[in-house]
Amino acid sequence: MNNENSRSVSVKSALRKYLNITGGNVVVVMDFLTSYNKLSELCFVDCVWDFTTRKVRDKEEKCALNCMEKFLKMNQRISQRFQEFQMIANENAMAAVQKTGGIAR
Amino acid sequence: MAAGGLPQLDASKMQLVQELEIEMMSDMYNRMTSSCHRKCIPPKYLDAELGKGESVCLDRCIAKYLDIHERIGKKLTQLSVQDEDFVKKLQGEQPKV
Repeated sequence: MNNENSRSVSVKSALRKYLNITGGNVVVVMDFLTSYNKLSELCFVDCVWDFTTRKVRDKEEKCALNCMEKFLKMNQRISQRFQEFQMIANENAMAAVQKTGGIAR
Repeated sequence: MAAGGLPQLDASKMQLVQELEIEMMSDMYNRMTSSCHRKCIPPKYLDAELGKGESVCLDRCIAKYLDIHERIGKKLTQLSVQDEDFVKKLQGEQPKV
């Protein structure tokens, strides 16, 4: 965990320094890179099984591409649900504040 | 999350707290995504579409994950408050000895 954090910090500073990527964009690029790597690993593990040949089989390729597309759709759905949850949580918090007479803010 | 109990902080510290919170949130989100993927999407990719069962499973998985996250958070806060009280009690007793 700690190790991971320090590595991501060094990647972030590298992005800033060498690629001139600034501010919030650093986070976006980082997120893209990590999810790309994760996706490759996942689909490789689930889809590539024939190590008697050097070539990627048609079946393996199809599986990997399906895996990717499904993963993206899953991500979309999860982010939708998460946003819905956050909206409700925010509304509840607001309601709670109003109910207690808004603790002088 | 539970920033209500914190003492007044200056702007730079506030920003640090906010960044930490965002980092924590995205970590939670990533863990949730991989857990629900593991639990809901069988590793047979015959189709690129999300199946009906898979979609329903994902929805429930997200709801449950967030629910558990909240419950554990509450319990954890409760325990740490108890702990703090205990430590305070101990410190209160010390001067007598």
